[in-house]
Amino acid sequence: MEVELLEIRDFLAARPPFDVLPENLLNELVGQLAIRYLRRGSVFPPADEGPALYVVRSGAIELRNEAGDLIDKIGEGGLCPHTCIDAGEQEPKRVGHSVEDTLLYLLPCAQLERLQQRSEAFDHHFNDSIRLRLQSALRRMQEGHMGQNRLMRIELGSLINRAPIHVGPEATIRQAAQRMTEERVSSLLVMQERKLLGLITDRDLRSRVLAAGLDPSLPVTEIMTTRLHKATRNTPALEALLDMSRLGIHHLPVVDRQEVCGIITTSDLIRQESANAIYLLSDIRRAESPEELVELAQRIPELHMQLVAAGTTAHHLGEVISSVSDALSVRLLQLAEAKFGPAPVPYCWLAVGSQARREQCNMNDQDNALLLDDSYAEAAHGAYFTQLAEFVCSGLDACGLVFCPGGIMAKTPEWRQPLSVWQGHFSRWVKAPEPKAMMLFNNFIDARPLYGQTSLYDQLHHTVVKMVGENRIFLAHLTAHVLKYRPPLGFFRQFVLIHDGEHDNHLDIKKSGLIPIIDLARIHALAGSLPEVNSRDRLLAAADARIISHDAAEELCDALELISTLRARHHAELHKQGRPSDNYLDPDRLSSHERGHLKEAFKAVRLMQDALAARVGTLR
Amino acid sequence: MLERLLPMEMRRKRRLARCAAGPLHDYLATPFVDPARECREVEYIALDLETTGLDPQKDQIISFGYLLVRGVRIELGSARHRVIRQACAIPAESAVIHGITDDQAAEGHDLEEVLTELLQALTGRVLIAHHAMIELGFIGAACQRLYGGELLLPAVDTLGQARAAMLRANLPIRGGELRLAALRDRYNLPRYPAHNALSDALAAAELFAAQIEERAGKHKLPLKALLMKQ
Repeated sequence: MEVELLEIRDFLAARPPFDVLPENLLNELVGQLAIRYLRRGSVFPPADEGPALYVVRSGAIELRNEAGDLIDKIGEGGLCPHTCIDAGEQEPKRVGHSVEDTLLYLLPCAQLERLQQRSEAFDHHFNDSIRLRLQSALRRMQEGHMGQNRLMRIELGSLINRAPIHVGPEATIRQAAQRMTEERVSSLLVMQERKLLGLITDRDLRSRVLAAGLDPSLPVTEIMTTRLHKATRNTPALEALLDMSRLGIHHLPVVDRQEVCGIITTSDLIRQESANAIYLLSDIRRAESPEELVELAQRIPELHMQLVAAGTTAHHLGEVISSVSDALSVRLLQLAEAKFGPAPVPYCWLAVGSQARREQCNMNDQDNALLLDDSYAEAAHGAYFTQLAEFVCSGLDACGLVFCPGGIMAKTPEWRQPLSVWQGHFSRWVKAPEPKAMMLFNNFIDARPLYGQTSLYDQLHHTVVKMVGENRIFLAHLTAHVLKYRPPLGFFRQFVLIHDGEHDNHLDIKKSGLIPIIDLARIHALAGSLPEVNSRDRLLAAADARIISHDAAEELCDALELISTLRARHHAELHKQGRPSDNYLDPDRLSSHERGHLKEAFKAVRLMQDALAARVGTLR
Repeated sequence: MLERLLPMEMRRKRRLARCAAGPLHDYLATPFVDPARECREVEYIALDLETTGLDPQKDQIISFGYLLVRGVRIELGSARHRVIRQACAIPAESAVIHGITDDQAAEGHDLEEVLTELLQALTGRVLIAHHAMIELGFIGAACQRLYGGELLLPAVDTLGQARAAMLRANLPIRGGELRLAALRDRYNLPRYPAHNALSDALAAAELFAAQIEERAGKHKLPLKALLMKQ
């Protein structure tokens, strides 16, 4: 086969959907291609070509709908929607132009069909619904991350977090013990210059000194263990753990090019395994002070990273991280009550926003509110609840759930009010839906009672749902408000492609991906007076209530899951690099698969937005 | 010398008359494409040769790469790449360029077999090559040796086209500007690894398509406007 010599083959082999084709079909494919060159400004597809699948090799093609709005812009390696098979998805009529001098590879439809018949994986790309494609993308992403046991993949080097504590050979046993106490370590190295002489542990002090009645003023060299088992930075953690249990030791010096760089203990390794949510939650529940909670909260980023590495679904990840925030909030409230005494009137602490929706990630700020019983009197009880809110919010802030920049917190007096005032807040927002009111409404409608008298919240929620359900005009305003945020069209080269053809260097995955889905879910839940708060739950409940179709609901759930998964991975990556979390993805660093999947997800969201706009009759 | 003043078609008939039976005779027996035809309705063969040197009389053809271009549509299914079995060792200096070793060349095809195949492909079509003098020279010399006859091949030289376009536009021509890779850059064509006969043939074919689209645009352009003088 001559075509094997052509670089075109490698170009296609690296890109979806061709990357799933086996060698022989790929060669066959190349042999069936034709090449066309379009000067800038030419009509696409060329009028003299029959139906075909086009791949852009160099240059760029813009597609617009009949009204002239940009639908897509396709650069190197991109596929132009083909006219061969349109599997039920109603594609609008499009007009294409080359916006640069463009070289195209084209595969006639008959040949495309033959390939589809012969490769199932390839066929999937063309025939599956957006939904099936999103699902298989998710599956692949999760499988890709699901390794074996974490300890098998992690190396000792990454577990060492402090320089080894050591003394010289001239130190006495007492001095060594004092040093260990000061440094709060259970083992100590004995070193001369940079040479490792031996190691002593808590257990040596007990069995070789106290039990044996040895004089603590003797040199430490008397009791140290000199024949040491050592490991290197690259030793897998699991191997080290197995060695230690086989040898019956609890401390293992880690040596890098003859130099000691740290000590690993069995508890370091076991903590790796048990830094999971359940241990963390029970530790939080037992914590005795805000300081202790702050220390426990430092495990959250690591927990987040582990869950991502283990291929946890983003939905579950959100639930886990939100439960940790819940536990921290509840424990702080209990500690506050212990400190300031029992509350003078009943109250209910509300989680607001992403925590309420159980969709938190590891970088959220805190959103909360305090709902008080109507027997509350400012003069008599104000000071107590001010103290309580201040204590809990500051505690959360210290735990990494930083103060909300917008002040959506119980420590803000406006959001620490009796039931009747809260009902008044909502009523005002619904009656005068100007942008700020709608923003606040969107914030506080996503609420979940965490602690205290839950019935207070049930009453508030009941009145608000009734208020909104009866007010179609407000719902229309709210819809118009949320439809302002349209997901991007996709990607073009290293840019994010936005509607008017503008480019963005970064993808704000929260603003342009998650928020539109969360907003859609909320609108549908409100329209059906549904009690659900989690976006996924809302969408599925809306489908059950026949507000949207099951297919549409599931498609949005998949899009939400996919976008959240990419975000969670991005956060885990930043954490690993020791960088602060953000929501900005660099399109250049997304794989062509990820770009494709994101584009599908965005498309699913846009379709739902269009359907909603058509139904509510709002103008965009 | 005077023959150069005659129309190609007449020259073809004269050479046919002087040519013994065989592949060259068969090739010459078919009329050439009418030079007045719209150039995008003509079929072409884009060809590149790798050779041991630049002198058709002394140097050998090492490999052939060619493919069919229908108008401005390049068809990869027609792509051929042939390595020629060599009588003597390939000079090291040329092996460095085209990457074909003696071992590969030893397993190659007979020149005659490949030439027969190529002449069939060229029948009723027009040659495209970058700096076509080389291809015409080597194929002509091979025909002379193997069939004892004179080849005549209507051809479009993409290098000549580029030079003419620059002269028309009154642009100065700087060194290296007419090289295949440099010209392709100007048309936003991708970079291919050079010096494989087939990928160079494809590179010339794409450049040809880009030159035609630039020069003709929506207007008609007869083939004769493109044909090189020979």
